[in-house]
Amino acid sequence: MQNVYDFEWEHLGDISEGRPNLGSETSVVAYRLMQYTFKDAFSKEIGKEKTLELFIKAGTLAGKEFCKNVLDTSMPFTEFIADLKEKLISLKIGILMVEKADEKKLQFVLTVSEDLDCSGLPIFGEAVCDYDEGFIAGIFEGYTGKKFMVKEVDCWATGDRTCRFEAKPIES
Amino acid sequence: MKSRKILNELNTCLKNAMQKGLGKKGLVFPIDLNAIDDEELKEICTRFEAIFNMINESYHYSEHLAQGNLKSKASRSNIFAMPLKGLQASLNHLTWQARQISEGDLSQQVDFLGEFSNSFNRMISSLREKKIIEQRLKQITDVLGEGVILVDSEGKIVFINPEAIRLIGYNFEEIQGLLIHEVLHKQKPDGTLYKPGNNPLFVAIESGNDYNNEDDVFTCKSGFMMPVSITCRVVFNADTMDGAVIAFRDITENKKHLQTLESINILLEKQATTDALTGIFNRIKLNKSLAFEIKRAERYNTPMTLIMFDIDHFKQVNDVYGHSAGDEVLKHLTKLVSTNIREIDIFARWGGEEFILLTPGTSLNDAIGLAEKLRSKIETYDFIEPNQVTTSFGISTFQSGDDNITVVNRADEALYRAKEGGRNQVAFHK
Repeated sequence: MQNVYDFEWEHLGDISEGRPNLGSETSVVAYRLMQYTFKDAFSKEIGKEKTLELFIKAGTLAGKEFCKNVLDTSMPFTEFIADLKEKLISLKIGILMVEKADEKKLQFVLTVSEDLDCSGLPIFGEAVCDYDEGFIAGIFEGYTGKKFMVKEVDCWATGDRTCRFEAKPIES
Repeated sequence: MKSRKILNELNTCLKNAMQKGLGKKGLVFPIDLNAIDDEELKEICTRFEAIFNMINESYHYSEHLAQGNLKSKASRSNIFAMPLKGLQASLNHLTWQARQISEGDLSQQVDFLGEFSNSFNRMISSLREKKIIEQRLKQITDVLGEGVILVDSEGKIVFINPEAIRLIGYNFEEIQGLLIHEVLHKQKPDGTLYKPGNNPLFVAIESGNDYNNEDDVFTCKSGFMMPVSITCRVVFNADTMDGAVIAFRDITENKKHLQTLESINILLEKQATTDALTGIFNRIKLNKSLAFEIKRAERYNTPMTLIMFDIDHFKQVNDVYGHSAGDEVLKHLTKLVSTNIREIDIFARWGGEEFILLTPGTSLNDAIGLAEKLRSKIETYDFIEPNQVTTSFGISTFQSGDDNITVVNRADEALYRAKEGGRNQVAFHK
């Protein structure tokens, strides 16, 4: 048995063949059940800070793979965002909106409503969409080729109705 | 403070708010918590106060949003403000989308905002269709072999296509906003400037009429006048005149072609009526002119004479000096005669060494005088090879009922008599 696992897009399998009756969709409950129980188990093993760090890392990998396999990175920025928005809606991940975009500085303020991770959660008093932060950073990295820092500044779990993310490239 | 009193205070406060609204002060919690001794009651009132504060904050927050202040914020713990935060996020996004659309980004879509989404997305579809039409129109004007200029209702230039740029020499930035009748259409084909208010293109645009001119000119950047064919159609927006589309093409080549055709026709006409050797009229032209002059003499009862003459012993000239010398004699003689007759006289080579001079409005006596003068000039002229030639003349005058043949025959008869009489003399038919 290998000590490390390397994710590949093909590992998601042939869903249409594997789930001819149930199809490619599942419930938000199943997703959240897995995510939050992972968070519970990990934080108890390695601490919350490290857990959140790993969630962001996993999200970034997911974002990069998503960008590479699902999105068309040759599109101009505005069309790329429109395509991303459409794909996120069709996969029922969330409703992406852009509030600010500085294409020169590559600084963006985005919101995700009806977010898969947190919409409808009780108010915890802290943002919980760590995986989303990584996911968005991964997509921007896949599109621009630069590493991104994405911070969730508003979250359903902090009392907002939409998740708001600030994205900017990491100065090298 | 007792619970009954607290409830009364709350009731009064809420009653007022429901009757008069929240006003500028908002919903002020009416209970002084310090005046409550009962800890449990105090805790309940503390929660009520928090609710009051949330309502107040939501009220002001919604007011700000209603005024379009999208930077306004409500505290995270405010449960009443949560739907408004969702609305604020949507408005922020819509603001960004509107800016994107204004910059030409038509990839924007709005989802999950009910009827607004439908309306917005229909608007985008409509803009996309218009953009496609605009692109197609632009492609058409780009590849069109004609210059296209759009002007507004004042005649200010708002668009020119690449062909127009190529033809007039200006780029768009140089003439954008300038009046077409002060830049391009300011001169008449003869080069003079149109007087203010008298420019036909501008008058047409101003009055909402079409304008067509197949023989117009545009003044190019270089200052040269370019011959153009112009078609101008006025554009209306609803019922208001909104400007005009002016299509034009360079007709310089057409004009050159017409000029060439004209030159060719003139040359052909000249060739058809001119004797190739001497350059004077030929027999065909003489016959036409004679027929015309006979009609005129008949109608207006004016005199007309016909002088026929030929070179005496011309065959000997050819035999002795050669045909080239003979040709030279013919050329010198016709030149000599041409310089001694009027402009209205018609001088033609009738054949060989035989000539006819038609002299409209000339009496028999004047014609005899003219013939004598010519005979004498020829006789004394030095033709070099030979030094001297002589000519015999026969003259006929127009008689009512004449035609070409009768007039010429009488002159020929007179010429025969001159020859019979010893040559180098003038004879006439009485």
